[in-house]
Amino acid sequence: MSDLTLRILHLFPRTLGMNGESGNVDILRRRASSRGIAVEITRLEPGVAVPLQVDLVFIGSGPVSAEVQAHPGVADVAPGLRLLAQQGVPFLAVGAGFQLLGETVTLADGTVLAGAGVFPVRTVIAGERVVGDFVVESRLGTLVGFENRGSYIDIGDAAPIGHVVYGRGNLAASGPGAGASAAAAAASDGSSTGATLVAPDARVEGFWVDNLIGTHLHGPVLANNPALADWLLETALARRASTALPPATPDLVEIDRRAAEARATIAAAPLSE
Amino acid sequence: MGFRTATAILVGRAVRVAARLRGGGSAIPGTIALKIAPTFLEDTISRIPLGVVAVSGSNGKSTTTNMLAAILREHGLKVFTNPSGGNLPQGIASAVLASVSVTGVLDADIAILEVDEGYGPKITKMLKPTTVLLLNIQIDQLNRYHEPDRVVRMLEQVAGSSTRALILNRDDNHLVDLDKRLPGTREVTFFGASPELISGAAHGVASADRFDEGHIDAGAREAEVTVTDVGDLQAVLAIDGRDVAVRLPARGLHYALDAAGATATAKAILGDTFRPGLVTAALGGLSTVYGRGELLQVGDESIEIIMMKNPASLQLNLDSLQSAPEQVFMAVDEGTPDPSWIYDIDLSNLDHIDVITGSKAWQFATRFGYADIPVGTVDLDVREALKLFLALPRPTMGRKTMILNYEQMMSIRKILGFKELEGGGQ
Repeated sequence: MSDLTLRILHLFPRTLGMNGESGNVDILRRRASSRGIAVEITRLEPGVAVPLQVDLVFIGSGPVSAEVQAHPGVADVAPGLRLLAQQGVPFLAVGAGFQLLGETVTLADGTVLAGAGVFPVRTVIAGERVVGDFVVESRLGTLVGFENRGSYIDIGDAAPIGHVVYGRGNLAASGPGAGASAAAAAASDGSSTGATLVAPDARVEGFWVDNLIGTHLHGPVLANNPALADWLLETALARRASTALPPATPDLVEIDRRAAEARATIAAAPLSE
Repeated sequence: MGFRTATAILVGRAVRVAARLRGGGSAIPGTIALKIAPTFLEDTISRIPLGVVAVSGSNGKSTTTNMLAAILREHGLKVFTNPSGGNLPQGIASAVLASVSVTGVLDADIAILEVDEGYGPKITKMLKPTTVLLLNIQIDQLNRYHEPDRVVRMLEQVAGSSTRALILNRDDNHLVDLDKRLPGTREVTFFGASPELISGAAHGVASADRFDEGHIDAGAREAEVTVTDVGDLQAVLAIDGRDVAVRLPARGLHYALDAAGATATAKAILGDTFRPGLVTAALGGLSTVYGRGELLQVGDESIEIIMMKNPASLQLNLDSLQSAPEQVFMAVDEGTPDPSWIYDIDLSNLDHIDVITGSKAWQFATRFGYADIPVGTVDLDVREALKLFLALPRPTMGRKTMILNYEQMMSIRKILGFKELEGGGQ
């Protein structure tokens, strides 16, 4: 494994770097380097072309003002990013970054921003903001984070990351008792023993098709969910060198034990505003 | 004074006495007074002769309000102020109840009010301040305000409500030209620190990033009061070409900037009667505000409290540590609902954590794992964790350190037997 260097592309780290998002990249780096895999990180700000040799792409989140600020840079990177996506390079896109890599983002004043077209999703900035703990049941088990969004994202018929156990998810929930606060009330109702924490409808979160993952889980998302980080590294390694990800080293085992406790703590008593 | 306000005073004061006998319940009397008389604050505070001064910003409101009140008192003014943390309408109303006469008169020349950013527009619309002091706009409580731009807009409304004077931090990315975006006219002055001090601080003034283009750079305004040197617990302020040494409540450039802001505001209020020399006397006599660099005496040990209200306050407080603290306790709970930002913090001034507690403890323990900072014990039971920490042998430096969020600072003070609660009456 000595001559293998994993190349991570971090898009727009300055504009979309608020609220710990860069932690996701630090976590990927650490989880690779502890296992003896060297990592090279390219921080790409708007106005620079996408490099051709990339093994993993990350883009973080930020407020709407930062999203608008980052948007002019999207057109320049769009063709390069779509090529990487077609080649099977794994992507993790969070919040505003996920929205900008979609097809369109409609702002509150009706302005429509063209996205990079990597994800076949459309965002509308609208609706009541949801702020609170976020629990999602995925194929990697329970994912936990923090939800803080004032937008809807339509993924069409594509597969989500998973079902919402607590929180709102991609769209306004429909059906009786399906508001975010109603779900919160239902989920936190009663004592901790035997309380049902399943949201009362079929709400889903994010996007996960093939190598592409988009989400509004914050925390940062990889901090609480190391399985997701390892899936990204595994996918990158398999594609790059048909190599398996070595098992977690003792330092990672201890970190993952703590993250499991963090997930359990949040999932046992999620809260929202 | 109307019948409603008179009733509000009588009932509110009775509730206040009852609440104090039970030990706590600080904002309740104010809440009740405002229910009875919605114009309670206007009816009482607006009658103060020199009017209202509003102090707002992300960090340092309590400390600066305390400093400004002291400087004005040193100049002979009678000051009405709200106790630290009591910066919502009900908290201010509770403070009024503590000092108002039954006829609705506050015995004060001027009111200095710490104002919450979120309630700022509402409070200043009610109270029409003559003077507004804005300290900083930092990444704060994203779960509450969602984005810094919203805080900027709220503080613009607060600033625009001032009728006479506006005092701004020139070293803040958003405040440096905030005056240019306001309608109306008023006297505008700035405070700040020397460029050397700003560039020498590990993370500057931790001002929130600004994403619009073509604006004036932070620092590029002439300051009326400038911090020119910062020592362990003191700083030098340049005021009208004169160097004035002042004592700070705790280490750090951010406290020196608070002192500069308070001084510049006192100067704007007092005009020709302002005396730089009185600033030294005023700030020398202050005690620290709860949890802001405070030292608690527990038995024969002292415990230094580092508050982590938000990323900026934690980063600046960590930056001001002179060496890695010998024994460290950390408690964080739901008062910090989304601790994602701990991944933005440079933690290198810590070399270990002895005990972590509070409902967010495991998220912090995970973060410390990634930062390679060893963690002793994680125990979600705050009392047990506290017991464990207090039982550690006496540190050779004679001081234990606690890093706490606001809610845990309040509850741990209570557990340790410090009864007075922030936001309460005097």
